[in-house]
Amino acid sequence: MKITGAKAVIQSLINEKVEVIFGYPGGANMPIYDALYDYQNKIRHVLVRHEQGAAHAAEGYARVSGKVGVCFATSGPGATNLVTGIADAMMDSVPLVCITGQVPVSVVGTDAFQETDVIGITTPITKWNYQITSASEIADVFAKAFYIARTGRPGPVVIDITKNAQFEEVDFYYPKNFSLEKYKNLNKCTKEKIEKAAEIINQSKKPLLIAGHGVIISGAQNELLKLAEKANLPIAVTLHGLSSIPVNHPLYVGMVGMHGNYAVNKLTNQADLIIGVGMRFDDRVTGVLSKYAPKAKVIHIDIDEAEIDKNVKTTVSLVGDVKEVLTSLLSHIKKNSHKDWFFEFEKLGKEEKRFHQKREEKFKDKITMDKVFEILSKKTNGKAIIVADVGQNQMFAAKYYQYKIFNSYITSGGLGTMGFALPASIGVQLAKPTDLVIASCGDGGLQMTIQELGTIMQEKLPIKILLLNNYYLGMVRQWQDLFFEKRYSFTYMENPDFLKIASGYGIKGKRVNDFSQLEKSLEEFINEKSAYLLEVIVEKEHNVFPMVPQGAAVDEVRLE
Amino acid sequence: MIKTVQYNIVCENKPGVLYRVANILLKRKINIETLTAHPVDSKKISTINFTTNIEESKIDTIAKQIKKIIEVIDVNYLVIS
Repeated sequence: MKITGAKAVIQSLINEKVEVIFGYPGGANMPIYDALYDYQNKIRHVLVRHEQGAAHAAEGYARVSGKVGVCFATSGPGATNLVTGIADAMMDSVPLVCITGQVPVSVVGTDAFQETDVIGITTPITKWNYQITSASEIADVFAKAFYIARTGRPGPVVIDITKNAQFEEVDFYYPKNFSLEKYKNLNKCTKEKIEKAAEIINQSKKPLLIAGHGVIISGAQNELLKLAEKANLPIAVTLHGLSSIPVNHPLYVGMVGMHGNYAVNKLTNQADLIIGVGMRFDDRVTGVLSKYAPKAKVIHIDIDEAEIDKNVKTTVSLVGDVKEVLTSLLSHIKKNSHKDWFFEFEKLGKEEKRFHQKREEKFKDKITMDKVFEILSKKTNGKAIIVADVGQNQMFAAKYYQYKIFNSYITSGGLGTMGFALPASIGVQLAKPTDLVIASCGDGGLQMTIQELGTIMQEKLPIKILLLNNYYLGMVRQWQDLFFEKRYSFTYMENPDFLKIASGYGIKGKRVNDFSQLEKSLEEFINEKSAYLLEVIVEKEHNVFPMVPQGAAVDEVRLE
Repeated sequence: MIKTVQYNIVCENKPGVLYRVANILLKRKINIETLTAHPVDSKKISTINFTTNIEESKIDTIAKQIKKIIEVIDVNYLVIS
């Protein structure tokens, strides 16, 4: 039986077991929306307030559900509004399939109304993209798109569908078990390489394992812990590796990178071995490359061969799925102990704590972001999912919330997209309807996507919005403070009455600016059953430390 | 050190592959000096050959990045000088 291309799109999504779509209708995708009207019992459509919100919500959904996130947008501005979210997904390896409408093929290339070169624009920021101009292509292209998005190193795919293809009729057959030759042999670890890596690990006196996002994507937390426990390896995490293992695990030593822990950054340059697991040694992790881990051999485990030797030269590279590689390694690893080495982490950790306490004396009885997350962490026992925006709030959330459950810190790491948290939390809450989901935002970031309060209202999602308001673009102000002689060039913000805005969307809220009220307010916040905005007025000039200044070596990390 | 390198790409003969290759180079501000592309055998497969002057340390990374393009089947390179 023949069906329309639009219906074939929906049938393809059903075949891929898609349960939620984030989208926005418009002229060029109306036939698809018309087809969706008949399938509302099978697929939940979330109407966002801006297409960027659709992409971030789909990212949030994908990152906690492990499924592919799906969004719809129309041609022209609808598609270009998705771009930030697609770029974000590309940088953070998030599987998305974004379906954009396009003008009919007969007018493609004529600068038709709402025509834009979506394929041209999205090529550098997608794993794959394709323009469908005939309904007969739909089933095959969708099967390929979903396969590519979720296989290997996950990433975003764009399917652009001309309007004529949505109207055309076609016999629909969805391919079963689609696969690509390219992804059949991702594991490129030879027995020799595994043995060599194991030997280096066994001989190392000062090893440091760095767990990245790949550990979470691969679900390799148990394998990671087994290996690290057997070899007695200190485990550090990248920003995206945070919450791959519980932070109270005895082998956990902290976070690497620009705002990572003092001990980890200092000792990276003392280590004789760095084991990078599912991470990519980006500049925020390594500081200046020429001075990164000069004494260390490097074992790099990653699914993406192009990451090997890209920034840091490896001694042994193990290309493959993190879980599989760690499993193969385990049997070759000997029991070991690195007591003295761990003691060095402890010693420097104490120093960081001492400086932190000294700094905080200045802010006694004042509200600072670190205290907010410390209290929140205690009140929730480290079991909430924190969706952090970008900037100071993101770093304080990373450092002072004690993550005890797997994959519970969701943020925009690679692209650093302000405005990520609010829409992403929509996707997270939909994927985890019974979990406590907290969107952590600054006053700058919240206002970039604040319209998504409308989506939260319409979908009746119980998201808790934690607004940390310092009336500044805090992280830029911090850099101006430290590196631009306090010349606060255009970082001060006059802000609206956020509670009135929330109230306009039917969302309850409260403002707290007195430290003595903070604990009680946070308690009310987490116990509220529906959506809630807690605006915390925090200290205006409070900086995130430790910090590795840009262009410095990791061991030049500053404590103040 | 800057080297002259010839890359040979075997790929599916489809629109957009050359655009993706060019994007990988553009992102790193690498110029193409010579370029040829032609279909082979069944016309389902195409070869793209180009030469470029490139920092030695980037040679292999570029090949790996090109290999990630879904339609690319194989990439080889030859350091000419």
